[in-house]
Amino acid sequence: MSRTPSQCLEIEPALAATATGDGDAAEAARVETHVRACAPCRAAFARYRDLGRAVAAWGRAPETPPDAARARLESRLANLRARTLLYRVFSSPLGDLLIARSEDGVSLVEYLAGRDLRHSRLLRAAGVEALEDGAEVEVLYRELLEYLEHKRTRLEWPLDLRLARSDFHRRVLEATAGIPYGAVMSYAGVACEIGKPAAVRAVAQALRWNPLPIVVPCHRVVGASGALTGYAGARVALKQRLLAVEGVPAVRGRDDYRIPRDAMYVRTPGSAEYCLPSCTWLERVEQPQRIVRFGSRASAEAAGLAPCTDCRPDLHPLARS
Amino acid sequence: MSVMGQPPFDAVVATHHAEIHRYLLRTTARASEAEDLAQETFLRAYRAYRTLTPDANVRAWLFAIATNLTRNHFRAEGRRRRAHAEVRASRAAAVADGPEHAALYNEARARVEALVARLPLKQRLAFVLRRIHDLDYDTIARSLDCSSESARAHVFQALRKIRVSLDGRELPHQE
Repeated sequence: MSRTPSQCLEIEPALAATATGDGDAAEAARVETHVRACAPCRAAFARYRDLGRAVAAWGRAPETPPDAARARLESRLANLRARTLLYRVFSSPLGDLLIARSEDGVSLVEYLAGRDLRHSRLLRAAGVEALEDGAEVEVLYRELLEYLEHKRTRLEWPLDLRLARSDFHRRVLEATAGIPYGAVMSYAGVACEIGKPAAVRAVAQALRWNPLPIVVPCHRVVGASGALTGYAGARVALKQRLLAVEGVPAVRGRDDYRIPRDAMYVRTPGSAEYCLPSCTWLERVEQPQRIVRFGSRASAEAAGLAPCTDCRPDLHPLARS
Repeated sequence: MSVMGQPPFDAVVATHHAEIHRYLLRTTARASEAEDLAQETFLRAYRAYRTLTPDANVRAWLFAIATNLTRNHFRAEGRRRRAHAEVRASRAAAVADGPEHAALYNEARARVEALVARLPLKQRLAFVLRRIHDLDYDTIARSLDCSSESARAHVFQALRKIRVSLDGRELPHQE
């Protein structure tokens, strides 16, 4: 080796490449010329060529991974996929909003203070793998904007309630999701709907942690007196705004907004009709907490209700305040 | 959920898992490590898949992830040495034990494998990427954070070392 002439040393990479089928044409020509005149390099060429074949044989060796390895990978991927929430933060008229979805449906809508995700529930939720992906949630964002601009009254998104904290929480959210557009119900009403009439405070607490505000319309749940009482912490003004979008008026009181209960149409539990608040039917209602109030006849009718044939709200509509 | 421009990730697994797994078997030479690294490669790829541009070369990208993970895996020198000691021991045992390994053809293959396992990591990775998986030097260079020339030099050095180690022993002729 130590006596190898510099020319031989210099050409060895090209020689190795050519002999093992990895060289280009210019290299091959150079190597051929050299090898013709140099016996040691001719021998080296032959050894590299044999080596190339042995390497190729090794490469072809059918070390196919066992099916079990593939199955184990598939199962880990399935697990990861099920835990994955795709999210993005968007600007909206209500401030920065984070929207996240899983394979099953939308799982989080969150009001953010700025774009800082450090305090986001997304990152605090156990067992969640958060991946930013605008494309997957963009369409939800666009529909949400249309909703806020009053161009759409329904967000027909499949819901994934995985961030609900308990079965009770889930049931509160499901009941709340059933309150129609442009209508309100009381916390006590939601408690009755899920068969826990005494759990009024627990319902309020559950809605405070609603992972899907706007989509699960907790803004349509108000105090028994008509006071808006609270929204996503201390964002009552947002609640008033969302209700206004839906045509539910709220008047500003001393320290809270309040919906004018006497200026709203009424649906009694289980009824397919809507009434004036003065309708005599209302005196005979069994669970008055479950009454739903509509801001307009249009919303009541959009919810599939017909005007009551006794009080005839169609003939004597309420004066708009 | 589909990502525009790229096939669904299931298809990526179906197309590339076997090859990536084989690559890792050849560079780590231990079945359990290869499987773990292959799993990690695809779990990482799943997380980053949606950030891939539509025209990205998925295969080269997966090789880069696998290569990067392998390098991290072997970063601790002591660990690398231990791994090599075990590779040599297990291969020698395999050649001695299995009657099928006595065949000259298989012996040459086993010898190549043992010599590849003894190469420095970068040379080993570059060598396997180029000679077995036929990746181009630019791709190899990107995977190894080096220039295309260095990648080429790594492959040559690997070949030269194997040849020097084999000198004096006849390689069987095949084909």
